[in-house]
Amino acid sequence: MASSPTIPVTVLTGYLGAGKTTLLNRILSENHGRRYAVIVNEFGEIGIDNDLIVDADEEVFEMNNGCICCTVRGDLIRIIEGLMKRRGTFDAIVIETTGLADPAPVAQTFFVDDDVRARASLDAIVTVVDARHILLRLEDSHEAEEQIAFADVILLNKTDLVDAGDLAQVRHRIRSINGQATLHETQNCVVPLEAVLERGAFDLDRILDIEPDFLSEDDHEHDDAITSVSLRSEAPIRPELFMPWLRTLTAAQGQDILRLKGVLAFPGEEQRYVVQGVHMLLDGNYQREWKPEEPRTSRLVFIGRNLDPAALQAGFDDCAARAA
Amino acid sequence: MLVATAEPALIDRYGRHVALDAAPTALLWLDTAAAVALGDGSVCWIGDGADPEAVPVHAGAILAACRDPDGAAIVTGGDDGRVCRVSPAGEVAELGAFARKWVEHLVASPASGLLVAGVGKEAICWTTAASAPSHRYAVGSTIGGLALDAKGKRLAIAHYNGATLLYGTNPDSGRVALAWTGSHLACTLQPEGRFLLTALQETGLHGWRLADLRDMRMGGFSAKTRSFSWDRKGKWLATSGDAAAILWPFDGKDGPMGKPPLLRAERTGALVTQLAFHPKDDVLAVGYADGVVALARLADEHTLLLDTEGASITVLAWNDAGTRLGWGGEDGRIGLLAMDAHA
Repeated sequence: MASSPTIPVTVLTGYLGAGKTTLLNRILSENHGRRYAVIVNEFGEIGIDNDLIVDADEEVFEMNNGCICCTVRGDLIRIIEGLMKRRGTFDAIVIETTGLADPAPVAQTFFVDDDVRARASLDAIVTVVDARHILLRLEDSHEAEEQIAFADVILLNKTDLVDAGDLAQVRHRIRSINGQATLHETQNCVVPLEAVLERGAFDLDRILDIEPDFLSEDDHEHDDAITSVSLRSEAPIRPELFMPWLRTLTAAQGQDILRLKGVLAFPGEEQRYVVQGVHMLLDGNYQREWKPEEPRTSRLVFIGRNLDPAALQAGFDDCAARAA
Repeated sequence: MLVATAEPALIDRYGRHVALDAAPTALLWLDTAAAVALGDGSVCWIGDGADPEAVPVHAGAILAACRDPDGAAIVTGGDDGRVCRVSPAGEVAELGAFARKWVEHLVASPASGLLVAGVGKEAICWTTAASAPSHRYAVGSTIGGLALDAKGKRLAIAHYNGATLLYGTNPDSGRVALAWTGSHLACTLQPEGRFLLTALQETGLHGWRLADLRDMRMGGFSAKTRSFSWDRKGKWLATSGDAAAILWPFDGKDGPMGKPPLLRAERTGALVTQLAFHPKDDVLAVGYADGVVALARLADEHTLLLDTEGASITVLAWNDAGTRLGWGGEDGRIGLLAMDAHA
């Protein structure tokens, strides 16, 4: 029997007071004809109006699978499995995390648990950022920085509360952490919902348009700051070289690599291969055929700490097929 | 011996299929009437040869169900936070309601009359015939599974980083804390209460010999174990999560320590999802992820094909007399087999 399509999951993160619940209520109140199952943390204070709301406990635990930074959300595994019993009563899942949550265990849950992977797929991590307070938050909290680093979509919210100069500074700081997320500047989280929900492969495709390494060394705020490195190769990538390289790299530097995403062209392969990772966990598969007009450029983006752009590019280049 | 799926299935000669509109989350028998708890919140009663009769019970999905200790009804737990008693006549009585919680586990014992629900971090107990909760036990994290021994007194609660053992009929029971790192899910007590086994998130089982709290590790599974079944003598524990039913020996004082498990009803390309020992015979019913259901003999590896196709088997149960077997797949297709027709 053919397996049913997986349910898309959107994760909302953001520091306390950034506007996550405002965004969530906007998602739920808009007349889009979609039915959402909403997973909230039990300490949320603002009311949410939806038929299907589940309280989560944010129970993070470490997997005994030999992967040293592999923490997952046990409550999410349980809740997603439970929700699937009432399959057909909702179209997608939205998970709201607490302001202080580290996004890694949430993301890793969708890589690690086979039963979750069979039923649900992480569509996008959406991070709401408070334009007025974020620079201060970044000074005193790892979580604020990691929430930006993990994002596929960033809502830079409350832009009406800062002047143009401060906004430019915030924008630059966000870009220095995460160069590949889609960035929307908003007031009261007003954003077209298709920019946030059920993105499919769109956010992955976007990495093809990013200029590699547009940041200079001067942009690094401090030694353990999170940065993005974007790699490209015009020559096709040889899977028999690339896979071991990526596995070795993530095994050695997985604690520093928060996220990685790539779209790869293999020699003589008509299908695009997409790869995603969180820390040491990797997931890859053939996505679709290359379009006739599409340049077969391979792209790979890393977001993390202590990334060496030159070494990463050299390693990636070594995986490219030499021209005959 | 491999299960030969090309042979004709027994369901076509001695049973029938019933198509329901929701995913079955439990199947229980009262004599020869099957009760199927469903993901749409209803309980469907199916009598011998009768049309299914749906009883609406919960607002959301039924997550857990067990037989009432009195044997005259079933008890259901839903994601609407309610625990209800549902009789074959369709009467529904609410036994408890826990706002914004999920009732994910239910176990009961006809021997002690105890009914226990796992609701978040609490095990909530009803003593014999109570219509409201009698007492409760809190543990440090969300409950992954509950189990009672054959006497219905010893209660095991699986949770993160281990399990807790207590006497479920005693509100002031002392506790035994069993620590083992990891997320412990479904659990089962050996009927005499000599061993506790839990299924781990990472696959595999953890076990404790309760006489001396010695740890046991039972690995090698390719998926999480979700189904446990003890044979009628408490000598074998059948476990799901691999391409064969894995049977662990528990007849000696060391249990399965140092002994190889028995493999039965092996298939290629489909995992065992559910299993149920016959209540009176050395025969094991096995359900797989591709909808196949087979019957395996312990003695000689002989298997009989019961059903050939469908969606992943999520529920499987014998009635007490061992004359009926029922199963159900994720797609709502229920199989009901009468075993006395050709005895």
